[in-house]
Amino acid sequence: MRPANLIAAALVALAAPAHAADFSEGSEAKEWGLAGEEKARFAAKVVDVLCELGGDCAANCGDNRRQLGLLRDADGALVYVLKNRQAAFTGAATDLYPFCGKDVEVDGVTVQNEDIPGAPKLYMVQLIREQGAAEWTKTSRWTKEWSKANPDLKKVKGPWFRKDPRVTAAIEADGYLGLGAEADAAFIEYYFE
Amino acid sequence: MKRLIAAAALGLAPMSAVAETITVTGEAIDTWCYFSGVMGGPEAVVGTAHHTCALWCAAGGIPVGLLAEDGTVYMVLKIEGDDHANGGDRMLEIASHQLTATGDLHVRDGVNYLIVNEVVADAGIVNLSHEEWDVTPSFAIPEPKE
Repeated sequence: MRPANLIAAALVALAAPAHAADFSEGSEAKEWGLAGEEKARFAAKVVDVLCELGGDCAANCGDNRRQLGLLRDADGALVYVLKNRQAAFTGAATDLYPFCGKDVEVDGVTVQNEDIPGAPKLYMVQLIREQGAAEWTKTSRWTKEWSKANPDLKKVKGPWFRKDPRVTAAIEADGYLGLGAEADAAFIEYYFE
Repeated sequence: MKRLIAAAALGLAPMSAVAETITVTGEAIDTWCYFSGVMGGPEAVVGTAHHTCALWCAAGGIPVGLLAEDGTVYMVLKIEGDDHANGGDRMLEIASHQLTATGDLHVRDGVNYLIVNEVVADAGIVNLSHEEWDVTPSFAIPEPKE
């Protein structure tokens, strides 16, 4: 798009606040039935949020340590991404990381919970590809990376979150409620009676 | 360039304004379950009722937020110099804890981002939400084997 057209498009967008525009056109995102859910497909750049906000930049987006965001082409909005496509308690940064600094197209859904005053519009990314690429990548990298990092647990039955060493250590130390063994025991007796 | 032109036309600076230093007291929460409603209302996905899930989500790299007493949520990007906000150990350690923290606040496109410079106090887990909500999700605690 020529700069003049971009400026014109941006001026039109002035009539609506950031994040208010409709990005649902062409979206093939899966619906989850979430709060204020809207499909959203858009072009953006994958950015290190710490770097984007305050200039605290790290090489290679912090080597998958940091939270990443999407700087949307259409309006310059920084879209914060909370979730990948997996129904497995997994975030999106590990799926965005291979695209650090790249211009991408993403497809997914936004959420905005009206039950929470002032709730921001946040994003679940389900598909991602470099701009101009034909094939989409599904954002399901997280559990694959976890399996690579925990090869000894491959044969242990159950999903990752039931056997993750850090999670199981935390539960062993402080219980499911986080209040210690005694509180857990009393609650479990009531809960499963 | 495209984004700079778009931002300029919208009258926005490409970077957020200079950070404001704040002190906030709040609970370290799982922001996805809180904002998405995927497991029900916000009251049920905080505190002890949601502690196990908060551990899962913190380990899974879902952004951790600080839910302040006035209801404002601050997305934690860094804590006392540790930038491992994508599933780092510190994110698990603070899950469901009530913290008092000082840090640099950036507000951008409706989202509050907090770079925590110092955790002034950690009161531990004080929100006993399981007393009202049991546990969320209901399968958080596996049923004991006979």
